[in-house]
Order: sequence, then C-alpha cells, then structure tokens
Amino acid sequence: MKYVPILIAVAALAALVTCAADREPAQTQAPAPTTHTPDPADVIGKPLMLSLSRAKNLHHKAKIYISDGNIPAAIASVREILSLEFPAGAPEAEDVRNDARALLGKLLVGQGELDEAMRVVQEGIASSQRKSFFVANLLTVEGEIHEARAEKLATATDAASKARVVDEKHAAIEAFDRSNQIDVELQKQLTEHP
Amino acid sequence: MTDHNDDYLAGPVPEPDAEASAAERAHAKTFAELVDKTLAGRMPAAMSADDRALVEVATVIRAASGEVELPVARRHAAVEDALRQAVGGAGSAATTAGAIAKLPRTRRWAPWAVAGASSLVAAAALAMLWLRAPRVVEHVVPAAPREAQVPASWRSRPSDALVGRIERDRAGDAATRIDTIFADRLDGYRERRLVGGEP
Repeated sequence: MKYVPILIAVAALAALVTCAADREPAQTQAPAPTTHTPDPADVIGKPLMLSLSRAKNLHHKAKIYISDGNIPAAIASVREILSLEFPAGAPEAEDVRNDARALLGKLLVGQGELDEAMRVVQEGIASSQRKSFFVANLLTVEGEIHEARAEKLATATDAASKARVVDEKHAAIEAFDRSNQIDVELQKQLTEHP
Repeated sequence: MTDHNDDYLAGPVPEPDAEASAAERAHAKTFAELVDKTLAGRMPAAMSADDRALVEVATVIRAASGEVELPVARRHAAVEDALRQAVGGAGSAATTAGAIAKLPRTRRWAPWAVAGASSLVAAAALAMLWLRAPRVVEHVVPAAPREAQVPASWRSRPSDALVGRIERDRAGDAATRIDTIFADRLDGYRERRLVGGEP
C-alpha cells in the first residue's frame, strides 16, 4: 500500500516521457511538397511535334502520289504513318493513326482490296481507347467497304453471293448508324463542355 | 524505617536456611505494602533511596513478566481513541492514550500529494499535446488546379474539338486534318517555350 504513490508518480513520469518522445516526429514531419512540375507526358514536347511533323509530311507525300495516280506508293506512305512512334499516352497518336487508317482503307477499296481494307479499318476501331470523330470516321469507311462488298457480290451470278449482299448492306447500315451515334454523342459533349 | 534498612544492609548476611527474624518479617511486610501501593498508583511521595531502588527493580521485574495491564479506565480510553481514529471522527487527532504512536499528518499525506500533483501535471501535458497536436494535412493536388497550372493549349489532348465532325465526303481528307492538328500543337509548343516552359 505504501508503494502506491510511488507507482503513480512513476507512471505519470513515464507518460510525460512517452508524450515527449511521440512529439519529436510530429515536429520534424515536413509537409508534402505542393509544387507541381508539368508531366512530360501531358505537355506538348519535341517528340510529339516531331511525330506530328512526320505524319504531316507522309500525308502530303501520299497526296502527291494520289494526284499522280500512284496509289501503291500512296498506300505505302500512309502505312508508314501507322508505324510512327508517338509519346506514350498522347491522344494525338490515336487520332492520327485512325485518320491514316481511314485514308488507307479508302485507298485499298479503290484498289479492290476490300478484305485488307476491312482488316485495316477494324483493327483501328478495335484498338481505339475512346470514342472520337476519328473512330466515327473509321466506321463510316467500314460502311463504305460493306457497300463496296455488296456491290461486288451483286454482280456475282451464284446464289450464295447474292444472299450475302443483303448481309453486307445491313452491315453497312449498322456501321453508318454507329458512326452517327458517336458523332452525335461527341457533338453533344463538346456543346455542353467546350 | 530508614534505620532498619541500614541495619539489614549493613548487617551480616543470614544463612539461606536460617529462620527469618521478626524484624526481617516486619521489613518484608512493609516493603510488600510499599510495592502494592506503587502498583496501585499510590506510591508514597517520600521513601528511602534503598526502598525506591527496590521498588523500581520490582516494577521492572513485573513488567518483564508480561502481565502488566493498564487500568480499566485508561484501557477503555485507549480503545475509544483507536475506534474514533479508525472511523475518522472528530477528535481523532486528540487522544488520551499518549502511548499510541502517531505519524505526523504531513508525513502521511506527502507521498499522496506528490503522486497527485504528478498525475495532474501529466494529464495537463497530455491535454496540451492533444490540443496543440499538428493537424495532418494531406497535400493532395486536385486535378483542376493542376490543369490550371498548365494551359490547355500546352497540353497533349484529343483533337476532336479542333477537327470536329468528319463528313463522309471528307473521310479521306486526312492531310488537311493533320495540317490543322500540327498547326494547333505547334502554336501551343511555341507559346510554352516562349513563356518559360521547355527551353
């Protein structure tokens, strides 16, 4: 019983020492830095401008080839755009590639390579990370490819080919509808949040 | 009486088995009465030095035998004082039994006072630490301020707002669109360099 006061005093001192020890880190804790430097992946830099510049030149090169009637050379130039490297995560990369695929698809359709044109266009649609006017444009080109297939099948004499004409036409309508839906959706978004 | 004592003390020592003389018997009876009076609290005010020494020896021998008892009145008073002290009643400090040892009041309360004061100081320190503890502030940079630090024209972004809806008859006009995109991004890139962005 006579040791109780001593124990209380010791406990009180221990509490004081503990509090003092706990306070040390709090006093030395530095606030997290608030300064933010622009993320190189977010801002426009030399790599993005270089990629855009090369895509621009390749498009104009293809345009010249097209004006000269050298479609295979134009196709090669446009294919080169698809192999360009862009900064990781740059939204412009997807837009530029989809636009190149749309042109490439149309050039291939003009060359009668409908299946290759469809592959190029559908690859672009499938690899897109977001809805955009460029994806809608790809769907438009896909619809044109379906139209071209339907026209080609309509000239065939066998019954099986004639039966596929309707399917291709329906696929074309479906692709155009999807394209329009995306256009309307994006237009609405841009109007509400310009 | 003094003369008798002097005689016995100064006289020859009798044999152990010798018959006590009448004088010795009278002296023994007188001394016995003196001892009885002393134990009863009625010790004579005056007595010879030899008798006083013998009485003190007799008192010590009796006390050593363990059969000493307080008078009934003093015993009752001591018990009453002890009971009053135990229940903390009034008058507990004043006791008639002086033989009961008591610690001073300050000595009994000093350790408790020290412990209580220490506890109060510790509680006050804890309260101060809790009240003045630094608030944990999360320095999370919200998205809006971060975007505000970098103008939209400086940032890599989708080209939908710039190009707009692509009409079907212009589906293959990618060259025109890449020109538009390149020119817009070049403006942002130059502005950023001139204002103090990228060197």
